[in-house]
Amino acid sequence: MELTVDKRWNLIERISKETVTFGRYRHTLKDAIGELTVKPLMGIPVAIAVLYGFWSVFCSFAGTLCTDGFLVKLFDARWLPWIQANFPGKGSWLYYILVGDPLADNCFEAFGVLTSGLFVPFGVVLPAVFIFYLMLTLLEDIGYMPRLAVLIDTVLHKIGLHGYAIVPTILSLGCNVPAVTATRILETKKQRFIMMTLLAIFIPCGAQLGIMQEVIPDTMGLVLLYLLIGYFIFGFVLNKAIPGRCPEILIDVPSYQMPTRRNVERKVWMRTSGFLKTAVPFVLLGCLVVNVLYLAGVISWLGDVFSPIFISWFGVPKATVGPLIAAFLRKDLAVAQLSAIEMTKYQMITSVVLVSIYFPCVATFVMMLKEGWRELLGSLGVLVAVVFLYGGLLHLIWTLMGVG
Amino acid sequence: MKVLLMGHPNVGKSAVFNRLTGANVIESNYPGTTVDYTKGYMRIKGEDITVVDVPGTFSLEPKDKAEEVAVKMLEEEEEGTVVICVIDSSKIERGLYLALEIMERGYPVMLALNMWDVAEDKNIDIDVEKLRKIFGIPVIPTVAISGEGIGELVKKIKETRPVEVDKIIKKVGGIDGTNRR
Amino acid sequence: MEKKLPEMRYEEKGVVKMIEGGFRERVAGMGIRIGKEIKMLTKQPMKGPVVVVVDDARTSLGLRIAEKIIVEVSK
Repeated sequence: MELTVDKRWNLIERISKETVTFGRYRHTLKDAIGELTVKPLMGIPVAIAVLYGFWSVFCSFAGTLCTDGFLVKLFDARWLPWIQANFPGKGSWLYYILVGDPLADNCFEAFGVLTSGLFVPFGVVLPAVFIFYLMLTLLEDIGYMPRLAVLIDTVLHKIGLHGYAIVPTILSLGCNVPAVTATRILETKKQRFIMMTLLAIFIPCGAQLGIMQEVIPDTMGLVLLYLLIGYFIFGFVLNKAIPGRCPEILIDVPSYQMPTRRNVERKVWMRTSGFLKTAVPFVLLGCLVVNVLYLAGVISWLGDVFSPIFISWFGVPKATVGPLIAAFLRKDLAVAQLSAIEMTKYQMITSVVLVSIYFPCVATFVMMLKEGWRELLGSLGVLVAVVFLYGGLLHLIWTLMGVG
Repeated sequence: MKVLLMGHPNVGKSAVFNRLTGANVIESNYPGTTVDYTKGYMRIKGEDITVVDVPGTFSLEPKDKAEEVAVKMLEEEEEGTVVICVIDSSKIERGLYLALEIMERGYPVMLALNMWDVAEDKNIDIDVEKLRKIFGIPVIPTVAISGEGIGELVKKIKETRPVEVDKIIKKVGGIDGTNRR
Repeated sequence: MEKKLPEMRYEEKGVVKMIEGGFRERVAGMGIRIGKEIKMLTKQPMKGPVVVVVDDARTSLGLRIAEKIIVEVSK
């Protein structure tokens, strides 16, 4: 027997009248904070503080403490010289693929499967992803995310999404793969398409953030700003161009809760290990493929073929074609590789932006395919347009500024 | 036997799940979608029981893909599957709404009145015995984060049964007319 | 006096009178139903969503959904 909404509520109220007594309850400090942080006057400054805190912990833990403080020393001063000296057959193609440049003095430039291939995921990316997921899980389990969603709803509404789209967006800063999964919390096909396309193009993942922070700490802010602006511009355009409904936000704003240790541990472990499973094989494969293509002369050939586009349209050295191939497998790897190419600061910004907005990595690609090939093709169409227009625009900006 | 844990988001469903299941937990993908859910196992008297942490939903009339999956997971279950409806005791009326929807569709149900301590703090007094009588199913107060009531929950799983909604309606004296407070 | 939900003042209380346009089912699971007391907690600027309190639970609704909810307020 199925009831109508009103009858069901009538029944509940009857049951409740017989079984539940609501006593007087004085609001606690926790309730007061819970309400204040969703009101704009207090909520918006708090949200900015939370996001800023998130960012500075991310940078100081992953970058300064783990990577620079410990892992760089381990990899560059111990592992790299040891393997360069002890791996047999210096000068052979196998040495080149596995160890890389025998004269390199750091693990970014060596670019062998066993040098950069291990350093990138374990030395740089793992601490970044771990701290990212730890903080995100805490924010989720405390019950802060819905508040952030309410506060940011107005802005995201302009690009056809609603406040809850902040969840896949932030998740995507960790890894695009689970973020594609999280687009499910949006109601319509249109919203999910917009979200997925924007994620794949404009949101750099934690791995890439970790690497950027290592190799281009000074200009990273500019890159992120440019991507953020792109996120809104193209979101706005997509919202206008795509037919379909954009339902509004309708969410529960829970009370704050103390996160439980077991839940946090389980979630962080699942997310971090999930990341390692998808990332490590692709990084190793990426190193291998790029090295083989170098050895076979494919990269320099591609560089020559595409050099007009690279040099005149984007204004970057043709050597960036190598990293762009690696970018398809892993974006972190690609940025690491870019750092070894000689170019100006502005060319570097353009190249890193290109790596970010150009094809999503293979894992994301597969994930998007699961959502439907039509959507994937649509996203790719948008992507190609964005790469040319938005990438080219950056070159134009540099030229107008006289630094191109 | 299979147990589905259903309830609103943020009612401690995952905490109940963690208490019930051991270390062998699998995160799975619902076929054909990207919605994932968690599955684990527990043992009662030598029998292996699958426990599924269904994505949180506010009602069985789904508003997004995640809720859609929650409903599908319920609808696809075969004989012998029971539902533990996890309710935030401090928001019991809202929780009963989802519970009733599940009951109306004829699934065997029991209620876990979770976050019992929160309800106590808010001076909400729930007559559990009376709720049991009205529904005719196990109704267990729990505090999943401390483990309180979980043993009781496990003990009563076998007493889970479908609820005849028209009988409840009779027990509370009908639902026609208004009864606003 | 009857008002649309977004017209309520901050901290104002009212009773839900009517929910229009098929939104009744959508908000029912959140505890918002006819005859229920509802309090306006906050409204976000620039046509942003509202946050209301029902049964001590807070729910955020986009403006267009909120406009479909008619409340009776005293005075």
